[in-house]
Amino acid sequence: MAEPILEVRGLVKHYPLTTGVLFKKQVGSVKAVDGVDFTLHRGETLGIVGESGCGKSTVARMLVNLEKPTAGVIRYKGEDITQLTGKALKAVRRNIQMVFQDPYTSLNPRMTVGDIIGEPYEIHPEVAPKGDRGRRVQELLEVVGLNPEYINRYPHQFSGGQRQRIGIARGLALRPEIIVADEPVSALDVSVQAQVINLMERLQNEFDLSYIFIAHDLSIVRHISDRVGVMYLGRIMEIGTDEEIYDHPTHPYTQALLSAVPVPDPEAREHRERIILAGDVPSPTNIPSGCRFRTRCFKARERCALEVPALAVPAEFRLTTGPAAHDSACLFAEEKQVVPPEETR
Amino acid sequence: MLLDVRDLHVEFRTRDGIAKAVNGVTYSVDAGETLAVLGESGSGKSVTAQAVMGILDMPPGRITGGEVLFQGRDLLKLKEEERRKVRGAEMAMIFQDALSALNPVLTVGDQLGEMFVVHRGMSKKDARARAVELMDRVRIPGAKERVRQYPHQFSGGMRQRIMIAMALALEPALIIADEPTTALDVTVQAQVMELLAELRRELNMGLILITHDLGVVADVADRIAVMYAGRIVESSPVHDIYKAPAHPYTRGLLDSIPRLDQKGQELYAIKGLPPSLLNIPPGCAFHPRCPMARDVCRTDVPPLYEVSEERGSACHFWRECLHG
Repeated sequence: MAEPILEVRGLVKHYPLTTGVLFKKQVGSVKAVDGVDFTLHRGETLGIVGESGCGKSTVARMLVNLEKPTAGVIRYKGEDITQLTGKALKAVRRNIQMVFQDPYTSLNPRMTVGDIIGEPYEIHPEVAPKGDRGRRVQELLEVVGLNPEYINRYPHQFSGGQRQRIGIARGLALRPEIIVADEPVSALDVSVQAQVINLMERLQNEFDLSYIFIAHDLSIVRHISDRVGVMYLGRIMEIGTDEEIYDHPTHPYTQALLSAVPVPDPEAREHRERIILAGDVPSPTNIPSGCRFRTRCFKARERCALEVPALAVPAEFRLTTGPAAHDSACLFAEEKQVVPPEETR
Repeated sequence: MLLDVRDLHVEFRTRDGIAKAVNGVTYSVDAGETLAVLGESGSGKSVTAQAVMGILDMPPGRITGGEVLFQGRDLLKLKEEERRKVRGAEMAMIFQDALSALNPVLTVGDQLGEMFVVHRGMSKKDARARAVELMDRVRIPGAKERVRQYPHQFSGGMRQRIMIAMALALEPALIIADEPTTALDVTVQAQVMELLAELRRELNMGLILITHDLGVVADVADRIAVMYAGRIVESSPVHDIYKAPAHPYTRGLLDSIPRLDQKGQELYAIKGLPPSLLNIPPGCAFHPRCPMARDVCRTDVPPLYEVSEERGSACHFWRECLHG
């Protein structure tokens, strides 16, 4: 495996809840992210999946420094970037760029495409001298598969898929090493999704990019990721290679999540086991004791309320080398195949 | 036949011209059957449903042709008053976004009970009791207490259950569900789809499921109608279409979705974009994006060819598509 480029350890983001107008008093906190660890290696794609409210977008925003973590470290090439300020921060930010979910609201409607993609150069003029910017922007448009002559058009003149390409071009403008993509295709139609995913894969090879790819769609994440982390209520429950997570999941939440995904194969519906979870995700202001998944878990026992399971290779797999031996935060981890094996089509 | 939509045409007058949203849609649903209408945004799948329900905004919308036969009657010929009696009582709709479909200033009990007060002339008290029953039926825990709560006090999945309860209230013969689970998380989506399928079986209702998700279709539908640019391009029993699509658009869609059980190579991508409804290409609307397009496709609109007794494809070269 290539060297680590980004290491996240014990990342926490709590938002205080206050009452009172004049004399604010903290009455609790929303624990959006509550202790997340992962490592991103050079040139790889780490997928992060989870349901809404699990904290995956907050993680993304902390990685690009749009939010300050409450605790924890984010090391970029060994250096903790959460404490950086001024010039040093600016230099790091250049190398970690973001692609946003909604191509309709993440582009300024009053700016031309050329201005949108070229704006990063205003902040980092060292990357492209002034006279050179028009040419650079046109190059970027070409790279993402748009006509370079569109440089003076406005976002509303483009379709959703084209806008997402503009967002990607902007993310690439500063030649970053890491791109954090937060649900980059979920607002797009199926036929356009595939175009954008293929584009992202091509760009990764071309520019040697490392991706953090955040999505709720498990099929897309499997398609694009080398490794996958599954988040629930502010924590990673299970993390491993795509094969380990999808074909050999050991955490009951991952198993339930995978079994709930509709598979486009009507033959599968008869002989597929569904794990239907009861209830809804608890509020992040009031996280269950012990294992945070226990309130919805079909395997929960008394011990789960008392002990917080660590994200590590579970004891029963520690001596084995198979694909089940990967990090899983469950006291009763057990391998279970929930995605039916590839059928022949 | 419970519902028989024949050659329906709908257009919208816009500032930029006339948008032809639905251009001759024909489909039918039997009692106890689930028909999935699949299409991307702008394919006309929701507009067709709105025309069937009679909730199309007119103007700017206009039904310019066709029939909507429901239990033998043409709904398009009914007066608005008569139409209103059908809507809710005999056919009901479930919307995508439950939060905006529910009234935020009324309790869910009032909104559920309203169905019985208006359509059945019940007293408020009886209606409230029926509302509690309905909430039990869609498995909302603590129905008795929660009937007094407002929509914002419910989670997304629970709100969608309330929508389902409302649609079921008068035990209609037909339910139209427009992207009922798109706004929900997968684990909750599974709960809601299962509930819907179970209730459909129990009450022997016809269900039209409008969706863009080929996975959901495979899970619950009996038959499928694929829409593109306001027309049905393929209709088929659900098993056949996944094995061998008879239209290049269907084939493209199936090939372009990443799969849970496979680590993919490069995805197949349908080139280009769906057409503007203001300016639908002549001939087959899909021809500018079609890998199989030939001269005839640019000039002649393909009819829905009969592929088999139960299948139709609007492609001049459906045989090639089916076997290649």
